[in-house]
Amino acid sequence: MAITEYIPPKPSAPPGALAPPTRKAEQESGLVKLLKKDLQTVFNECKMVAVVHNNATNSEDMLILKHRLHRHNISIKFFPHQVMRSFLAGSRYRNMEPLFIGQTALFVSKEPKVREMLQVLRGTPQMVLLGALIENTLLSQQGVVGYSRLPSLTSVQGELVSGLTMMTSQTVSMLQHHPAHLSALLQQHLKQQQTGGATEPAATEDAPKAEEAA
Amino acid sequence: MAASRGGLVLKAVKKIMIQFCPFENNVRSTRDFLTMVGSEKARSTNINCEVTTEVKHDKSEPVIDITFIDGERLVMKGAKLTTQEMLSALQARCSAKDPQAKAAAKK
Repeated sequence: MAITEYIPPKPSAPPGALAPPTRKAEQESGLVKLLKKDLQTVFNECKMVAVVHNNATNSEDMLILKHRLHRHNISIKFFPHQVMRSFLAGSRYRNMEPLFIGQTALFVSKEPKVREMLQVLRGTPQMVLLGALIENTLLSQQGVVGYSRLPSLTSVQGELVSGLTMMTSQTVSMLQHHPAHLSALLQQHLKQQQTGGATEPAATEDAPKAEEAA
Repeated sequence: MAASRGGLVLKAVKKIMIQFCPFENNVRSTRDFLTMVGSEKARSTNINCEVTTEVKHDKSEPVIDITFIDGERLVMKGAKLTTQEMLSALQARCSAKDPQAKAAAKK
């Protein structure tokens, strides 16, 4: 008799309950896109981009720092790390990525004014220079210091030119050595003739000596 | 990343020297430690304590060298340590030295 009892079918769970929660693929929000565009312009325009780790600078120190840097047209920018990382992974500056951990700030400027920046940073002990991208070359802290010590381009070019022409100038001076010596002696001979007729015998002695030396 | 047991008291510390190479991958904990130690709260507990940072580029490990007032040195190699471990080690030593100084001052 139990077999013929009506066994109602179990109600299946409503369709929403069993489906696994699907995470929608995260789309970049508009702010992130804007920041990325900003980053793109920064990297294209500015010859110098320095990454600095800041240890809890309070607002007055920040203001003083901004003021000092503004004198040299260096601006400070902050970007969230996620945006920074996704941008760097796409561009060709991938090796800068490990620098961006913790609290960082970017010092950007169009002209590579490294010496002034280093002086300002020396005044704020909380900001630690990690690395810099100067004229498309990634430099470490020692590299930046070495870059600041380089002499200007004109002086280096001048040194190069003088080094190259050193050999030729030596040759020229060697060739002109004998005639120059002879002309100096003859000038001296003339002077002695002019100063005293009494020294004529000494002058005639000088003349054969000059002819022997030539 | 709150410091354990309410803040870092650096009264017994003379000098903290942190060196690391930022292009390596193992420096996250060291840099976080630097941020914690360099924060206003920690620095206000002892203004005479200097925090110096050296940035190197020779693939060396990150090292934190702490000199206490009584001459003891604590050297931590931060490559495989977490920030919490380093902070708790420092704090344990600080609080060990500090109540001695306080008790001696009270007496």
